[in-house]
Amino acid sequence: MKTKLFAVVVAVMVVFAATAYAATDPDTFVFVTFGQPDTLDPAECYDTASGEIIHQIYDNLIAYEGSSLDVLIPMLATEVPSVENGLISEDGTIVKFPIREGVKFHNGEVLTPEDVEYTFERNLLADPMGGPQLMFYEPLFGVHSLAQLVAKLGGPDSFESVEDLDAEIVRKVYEAVDAAIEVDGNYVVFKLAAPYGPFLNILAKGGSWGSILCKSWMIENGAWDGQPDTWPKYYQNAKESLAAYDKENGCGPFKLVTWDKATGQIILERFDDYWREPAKLARVVIKYIDEDSTRQLMLKTGEADAVVVNAQFLDQVRGIPGVEIVENLPRIANSVLIFNFNFPVEGNEAIVGSGKLDGNGVPSDFFADVHVRRAFNYAFDYAAYIEDVAMGLGFKPYGAAHQVLPFIDKDIPWYDFDPDAAAEEFKKAFGGELWEKGFKLTLLYNSGNTQRMTAAQMLEYVIESINPKFQIDVQGMEWATYLDKLTTGSLPAFFMGWAMDFPDIHNFYVPFLHSKGTFAEPCMREFAKENFDALVEAGISATDPEERAAIYRELQQKVKDLAPCLFYYDAVDHRVHRDWVKGFVFNPAFSCNYDFYTVWKEVN
Amino acid sequence: MLNYIIRRLLFLPIVLVAVTFFVFLTTAFLSPYQQLATHVKDPDELRRYAGNLDALVTKYGLDQPFYVRYWNWLKNLVRGDLGWSESANMSVVEALTKRLPATIELALFAVIPVIMGGVILGQTAAMNHNKPLDHGIRIFAIVGWSLPDFVFGLLFLMYFYGALRWFPPGRLSVWADQIVMSSSFVRYTGMNTIDAILNGEWQVFLDALRHLVGPVITLAYLWWAFILRITRSSMLDVLNKDHVRTARAKGLPERKVVTRHVRRNALIPVATVAGSMVIGLLGGVVIVETVFDFKGVGMLIAQGAQQLDYTLVLGTTLFFGLLMVLGNLVVDILYAVIDPRVRLE
Repeated sequence: MKTKLFAVVVAVMVVFAATAYAATDPDTFVFVTFGQPDTLDPAECYDTASGEIIHQIYDNLIAYEGSSLDVLIPMLATEVPSVENGLISEDGTIVKFPIREGVKFHNGEVLTPEDVEYTFERNLLADPMGGPQLMFYEPLFGVHSLAQLVAKLGGPDSFESVEDLDAEIVRKVYEAVDAAIEVDGNYVVFKLAAPYGPFLNILAKGGSWGSILCKSWMIENGAWDGQPDTWPKYYQNAKESLAAYDKENGCGPFKLVTWDKATGQIILERFDDYWREPAKLARVVIKYIDEDSTRQLMLKTGEADAVVVNAQFLDQVRGIPGVEIVENLPRIANSVLIFNFNFPVEGNEAIVGSGKLDGNGVPSDFFADVHVRRAFNYAFDYAAYIEDVAMGLGFKPYGAAHQVLPFIDKDIPWYDFDPDAAAEEFKKAFGGELWEKGFKLTLLYNSGNTQRMTAAQMLEYVIESINPKFQIDVQGMEWATYLDKLTTGSLPAFFMGWAMDFPDIHNFYVPFLHSKGTFAEPCMREFAKENFDALVEAGISATDPEERAAIYRELQQKVKDLAPCLFYYDAVDHRVHRDWVKGFVFNPAFSCNYDFYTVWKEVN
Repeated sequence: MLNYIIRRLLFLPIVLVAVTFFVFLTTAFLSPYQQLATHVKDPDELRRYAGNLDALVTKYGLDQPFYVRYWNWLKNLVRGDLGWSESANMSVVEALTKRLPATIELALFAVIPVIMGGVILGQTAAMNHNKPLDHGIRIFAIVGWSLPDFVFGLLFLMYFYGALRWFPPGRLSVWADQIVMSSSFVRYTGMNTIDAILNGEWQVFLDALRHLVGPVITLAYLWWAFILRITRSSMLDVLNKDHVRTARAKGLPERKVVTRHVRRNALIPVATVAGSMVIGLLGGVVIVETVFDFKGVGMLIAQGAQQLDYTLVLGTTLFFGLLMVLGNLVVDILYAVIDPRVRLE
């Protein structure tokens, strides 16, 4: 009996061992990362996890050539507009795109200029909270949101609900949006409020907000029907109710097969009717696994072709046979601890404790005190972070914008690590009351991002050692929840990053400093309006480089003095993949890790 | 026997209400704002009312006395509404429904190796009482009991996946996942092994089995010491009973004495413990599921607890409270079937 049992066990093990190691499938690319997308709807997507997928399934009007940020090439448009080819008017306010013919969407429908017009109009009118539409509102209307456009057109300065708007203003908003993007024969024409240098960069592939949608499919799936008076029904709807939240009909090189949120997996399949040559890969599987060690093992065994390895673990994968690390990629992104100047206490007790300055929590205006903000900035050990966490890959910042961008004044350094100066600032905060009573606060990061977790723990260690009455906890949160809470201004202090949308310093100053910016609006709207808005707007309006430099110098100094956030790291990037991965192209403007269209596997 | 079952069933509603009451009682420590998530079904409602949560508190009656809130919550419960989980980004019921098949599958495959292994080891130890084999088995099992599961799990992964590539983490390989997610593959149970058999996909079945080996062995090694100790002491106890001595005096071979007269009696306490163990396994094994990226209920709970997702933690606590009550009922009834003395009480 025992012999039989043993024989069965051995036989089973042999079968397993024999079937265990299947060579990697050359047609299927497996990418393992952490943090599932927030949404797949380009109207709302403004994060890299979502952009990773949107990049593969949609195409834009134009694209960057390879790694370049200067050279643009046609994509769904057949030409890149310029003054020379007559597609940009002499005064720079009319931009025309001739639309490529014969391009198919994934459901077989053919792309028309009306699809392009609908895409931008629908997205502008939906204007999801915390979404990317401000990038189009600024060049097209000189405002930053639909709400501001309403006010500009004679409507109320603010409104509780879009239902409160009268029919006339609803119609006026539609007419303004409709007039800004028009179809003229086979052309789509954008009419800008004023010349706007980075406009073409905003539309280029890499930015999910420029993805072209299929009008009829969108309407069939419950999106805005294109009628002038119906758009309020679709304004700032719940992300889950948006037509393209978890399904798609793009015209990109891959189709979405499935997004299984419960098991954390997305499968993409090659689109054989793609307007260019079909992709070399037949399938792309993206798995979401928070455990760093599991991701590394999957890379080591070849089950994964590429994985995300946080910088502090890079040494653990260095030297593994068959694993290639591509380092020092010039990604224009930074990492920041963002302070909320007026966070809610109700419903937030687990994070902000008592909500009072009594040693058991923090009041909602905790970060409105400049001394608290400066103290946090002094309490961060920038050098140790870059050396030990980022493994030397990256730089200490000069403020809100990445240092490789023009107009950064390197004579205005950011704060240095100085616990004594931090203590002095803490003593001044709240008239000395904070130092006496202490505080308790939870710093938040997105789960799986161990670099941010370590940054939070470093702050925890230093601040708690400054005064034993200071207590800091560190807690992770799922990416989609994190973004939701961010946009509603519910997080008191949270770690975030900003990756460049288009190569201009303005693209960093708006989200962090402008009252309509992605982070500034929910966290310090009034403060930003009072201190930064005028300078940010002056900076983008100025055309003379010297004038811009002077404005941005003043802004940089003001940011240093007021310390609205803790800017702690200007990044460079890396990728870790198997050496059979070929065709990897890095472009700092991409919101994805890999453009799978260019990638293939060379497996022996 | 029937009377016993009826008596137990009559008690069931009282116990269930008590479970719901105690679970709800834990929400008394939360502010009305924190309780909101357990009532709001549309996540956008929370976002829209972010600056005006008082209106929502009133809307959902969270400013009402405790008993009114409890009654409202019970009504939601009866409708199958356990609230919205922020960490899972879906309703708690949906999250549980999607994750439960994985946990049930793991429990099903773990039960036999855990119990059989534990019983065989316990029996062997008892039959070799105080001999080197007895000591060896006990040391082996106690090491398993003492070793943290995440350590054993990671060591297992490093060797059997990292080095040998035999038993990978997750529930399926990429190629098998594609078959399972294709439109031609019918999902009957959500359990990969069973669905693979029903679809005639034997390669997928084998692959799913391969992914189960790591978590099952880790669980088995953890539980063996427990089952072994009970089996061993119970067998030692029975081995000294008069009826065993009589059986030996009759001249029965030792193997028959053990199988007919010792093991059956000695397994009664093991059956009780095994029942509770199965219920525990169905409740999800947090660490093992996390280490092996086996996306079941245990991993869901861990994720919810880490992110202070009260709704999910409350919902899952309630679910497992109910599971425990019903499971214990089944175990008690089975126990009564095995041991007539229980019925007489």
